[in-house]
Amino acid sequence: METVLSGLATGFAVALTPLNIFLVLIGCFSGTLIGALPGIGPINGVAILLPIAYGLGLPPESALILLAGIYYGAEYGGRISSILLNVPGDAGAVMTTLDGHPMALKGEAGRALSLSAVASFVGGTLAVIGLSLFGPLLAKFAVTFSPADYVALMVFAFASLASLVGRNGIKTLLGAVIGLMLATMGIDANTGVPRYTFGIPDLLAGIDFLVVVIGLFGMAELLHLVEQQVSGRLKTLPVDRSFLRRADLLRTRWTILRCSVIGFFIGILPGTGASVASAVAYGTEKRLAGKSGASFGTGDMRGLAAPEAANNAAAGGALVPMLTLGIPGSGTTAILLGALLMFNVQPGPLMFTQRPEIAWGLIASMYLGNVALLIINLPLVGLFARMLTLPQHYLTPLIAMLAFVGVYSIVGNPFDLYLIILLGIFGWVLRKLDFSLAPVILGFVLGSLFENNLRRALSISAGDWGILIEDWKSNALYGLAALVVILPAWAGRRSARAAADAVED
Amino acid sequence: MVDRIFAGLLLAVTLGYGWLAFTVIRAPFQYDPLGPESWPRILSVLAALCLAGILWKPDVDRFDTRGGTWLRLAAIVALLVGYAGLYEPLGFVLATLLFGTIAARLLGATLVRAGVFGLATGVLGYLLCAGLLDLNLPEGPLPRL
Repeated sequence: METVLSGLATGFAVALTPLNIFLVLIGCFSGTLIGALPGIGPINGVAILLPIAYGLGLPPESALILLAGIYYGAEYGGRISSILLNVPGDAGAVMTTLDGHPMALKGEAGRALSLSAVASFVGGTLAVIGLSLFGPLLAKFAVTFSPADYVALMVFAFASLASLVGRNGIKTLLGAVIGLMLATMGIDANTGVPRYTFGIPDLLAGIDFLVVVIGLFGMAELLHLVEQQVSGRLKTLPVDRSFLRRADLLRTRWTILRCSVIGFFIGILPGTGASVASAVAYGTEKRLAGKSGASFGTGDMRGLAAPEAANNAAAGGALVPMLTLGIPGSGTTAILLGALLMFNVQPGPLMFTQRPEIAWGLIASMYLGNVALLIINLPLVGLFARMLTLPQHYLTPLIAMLAFVGVYSIVGNPFDLYLIILLGIFGWVLRKLDFSLAPVILGFVLGSLFENNLRRALSISAGDWGILIEDWKSNALYGLAALVVILPAWAGRRSARAAADAVED
Repeated sequence: MVDRIFAGLLLAVTLGYGWLAFTVIRAPFQYDPLGPESWPRILSVLAALCLAGILWKPDVDRFDTRGGTWLRLAAIVALLVGYAGLYEPLGFVLATLLFGTIAARLLGATLVRAGVFGLATGVLGYLLCAGLLDLNLPEGPLPRL
């Protein structure tokens, strides 16, 4: 407890400097704007703005504060297009459309927006509290991890990724392996041997992280937008004057609290982010509601509050493994982790003690950010809703411009402009074939960490692979990995059988 | 079918990757049990196993993209390549002006609005990014005029 309080004191000392307060506000505001754009989710927003945040020459903690603000700001903003337009910004916002849009159709758009803002606020804030309590504890424990334990941790991360993300586990796993393979390009740091560089000097240092991120999440998204572009205008519902009532909050308070907790813990699981959390929360609430759950999907307030509380809590929860273990909990946190690596900061258990200004500064800034988001979201929602009417034919060239500015100004090599187009086409094909892209970036970011720990572990044991299963910590993690693969498969089979029985009845 | 074609292509890449890992990559001398080649070897085997799984049980049959959409996608990719090619020679302002105008027009804006949009992104984008945010952007021939 004492470490938490002194840590928070350090953190607020960092977060309350004028520059950082300004960055929190800017991050939250632009994050909400980006999240409100139809079709663009937090991961694309962070990817496109990452190089610009890096190029500003800020100290690492400030850049991270800005990027994290964009991240959870976009989680907030995503609900606006879900509710008013029925178009989710990303997978995490899909559940919000189920009850949010029907409420807006009933003429309760303002009520839906304000309720979801409060649910997001509670989810986000509880997650930050959880992060401040669990983070240092987990970090303290993780300091004792040996290289072999880290290997087990990675196996667990990829297992939960393959089992919980996407429809096809094999494709998710393959995506992660593609990311790991991309990460092997360049000079091997241990021996100085060049790998897969084909004699091209541009590739000696490997493919730049920024290029991969912008290619996969900026350019591929752009192609996706062009493909999906519908002729004619999407119809936005107006923001009306209805507003949240006291009774609404009383009615949804337990839903919001429960789903925040669910979201936070699902967010902590490595690899699984907001999309899994909001789906699980929605399903749980529907089941708990029993008979009255029949109104879910027709504009039930609980059905709106549940996924919103959960996805914002998951956004905070996903930061726990990133800050304490150096293993990102979602695609977006993988990008944040890559951003820290660009600043030569290695996230991991020692960060809480060695770079407290970064770990605690970020946490403190998130307390401020959530309050700021609630305050700017309630009255300004009409302004953000305007973003929905920004026509696609302006949005698409703007994304291209931002992507080019980002890559050129940081990497400064025209060769990379072609590379992002190529990666964009590759990412677009992957998406068309039902691969999710988050595992690719996760694999890319974790590649060297995974490889180095494996090599270190085997160096310690002088080549004996048995070291990988020697320690109880690694074995516990392998057990968890097996559990996370088996449980969902078992539950899926059971519900399939239940459905079959129901048909027979 | 598309799944199988894509998996087949990736398999060819993976085999090449694996071949390099198993034959070419080697450290001149090393003390550690695992050299630079071990990790790529593991990955190539894993990737090949996943690909075999997809080849055996594909789940996406074909792209549901229609003819017109393909054309629009091809056009935007061509535009992006042109933008990349002209980025340094023409400089940010002119390249963005051209790209913004043509792209907006292509995607459905009227000619006048597309032109205004292109001009605005070129000039305002430069002022914002190079002026206010101090990012490094290509100037092109404009300052010399």
